[in-house]
Amino acid sequence: MTTAPALDIAGLTVRYGDTVAVDGLDLTVPAGQTVALLGPNGAGKSTTVNAVLGLLRPDAGSIRVLGRTPLDAIRAGGVGAMLQHGGLPSEARVGEVVDLVRRSFPTAWPLDDLVATAGIEGLLARPVDALSGGQRQRVLLALALAGEPPLLLLDEPTSAMDVEGRRAFWTTMRGLAGRGHTVVFATHHLEEADAVADRVVVVAGGRLVADGSAAQLKAGGATRRISFTAGPDRDLDALPAVRSSSRQGSTVTLTTADVESTLRALLADGAPLPDLEVRGASLEDAVLTLTSSATTIGARS
Amino acid sequence: MNPLFSFQLRRVARNRQYLIFTVVLPALFTIFFTKIFGGMASGPVEYQRQAALYMVSMMAYGGLGAALGATIRISFDRASGWLRQLRVTPVPQTQVLAVDVAVGALLTLPSLVVVALVGRFVNDVQLGLGQWLALVGVLWAGAITFVALGILLGLALDERAAGGAMGFVGVVLATLGGLWAPVEVFPDSLRTLAHAMPSYWYAQLGRDVAAGAVPSGTAVVVLAGFTAVFALLAVGVARHRPLHAVAG
Repeated sequence: MTTAPALDIAGLTVRYGDTVAVDGLDLTVPAGQTVALLGPNGAGKSTTVNAVLGLLRPDAGSIRVLGRTPLDAIRAGGVGAMLQHGGLPSEARVGEVVDLVRRSFPTAWPLDDLVATAGIEGLLARPVDALSGGQRQRVLLALALAGEPPLLLLDEPTSAMDVEGRRAFWTTMRGLAGRGHTVVFATHHLEEADAVADRVVVVAGGRLVADGSAAQLKAGGATRRISFTAGPDRDLDALPAVRSSSRQGSTVTLTTADVESTLRALLADGAPLPDLEVRGASLEDAVLTLTSSATTIGARS
Repeated sequence: MNPLFSFQLRRVARNRQYLIFTVVLPALFTIFFTKIFGGMASGPVEYQRQAALYMVSMMAYGGLGAALGATIRISFDRASGWLRQLRVTPVPQTQVLAVDVAVGALLTLPSLVVVALVGRFVNDVQLGLGQWLALVGVLWAGAITFVALGILLGLALDERAAGGAMGFVGVVLATLGGLWAPVEVFPDSLRTLAHAMPSYWYAQLGRDVAAGAVPSGTAVVVLAGFTAVFALLAVGVARHRPLHAVAG
């Protein structure tokens, strides 16, 4: 089991009626990696996670989890998961739920440490129905961790958290990776992928469009950002090499694949360019470039 | 004890409404009906017959209500995502279902026993010890029909419909099955309908035992048939809509 990858997905295809949610996805995650599945809503992240957990049957492809079928891996206590539509039972106390799940695994995470790691101090005696959104999310994390499983699958784990909760959660996730857990998490927060993951897998339209470290993706996108102040009447459509443009108040921001030719064109029309700035693109720009263009850009490590 | 079993038992037992509707209410009705109809009895023999009849009817009402109430709640656990969450723990799916059946079956016992105690000590129903045990035993065993029905409804109905069904289905089964008013006073058409109700045959098990007889074969066969149909339908629904699905 130590030699098998934590996760091995080959040719995964999932359809809902006529819609192809996941389209021939291949992904191998070696044990110990922290991987972000990054993509916009509807990219196929959740579908992939659900297929890996055996919650839905793929139309094609194979999935091995820790060298086993998803169901066998879960039954053996190899997987902990935080689902987007997972829930907690009514008429129960947090401590009872945590206890039940801990006891279902062959090895349980020591309770004191689990409580501290998931950040659910003081919640054990509380009725589940009295939890806030962020607290629920942390209790669900505690359930995912309860059996100290080698593989953790977290589907948008921070969606109900405020900024502070989110940062605390990232620290927790980095700590898990430090303990040797394999962590695969879906997110549409670039900041989260950048802060936590060793590897970022960008998914769009059910396909893998990029795969590499955050730094590689930024470089792979190879875009730069030009911003300046311009009136609303300024025509920016005809500029060469521009991949995307946005306007916030009077500030225009362009991402370009070729900063030199874009700048030349801007300067050539003679209009002033107050507050001109040229910067390296952020991960966000790289991902936007990747997910908006249909081509697969390989930045594989 | 299986951890999931004790967990589920604690959850249902925490629900006060459940205890009131399945234990307290049938017990109070037993006293109420016996005071009214027993008071009109022509003599002690007739009183015994009436008191035993209402006790058995209310045991049946409490038993089927408890079985339904304990199992229809599957719908709530589907809606909340809890069953989905359980699905990604090592707890086997078969165990989740088996625990629901076991909890439903066990929780019919308090209402049966409490109503029997009320019958004996408040209403002075006289039966032999063996008869008392047999009475509770057959009604406990027969409750499996309503456990199956409850699981079917819990799988088939959404959260809101399930909440309504918990009270409604029990009352309809009790009324049409002749548990409130005995079928002897029903007009012919309603009596035919009563004979098509599993609740009628469920109570018949108890009436036979209270009358000193063995439960009728017809009642046993009809209840077994209903149980099989409910269970098959539940399997069919579960195929289309797995336990762990959130909705749809």
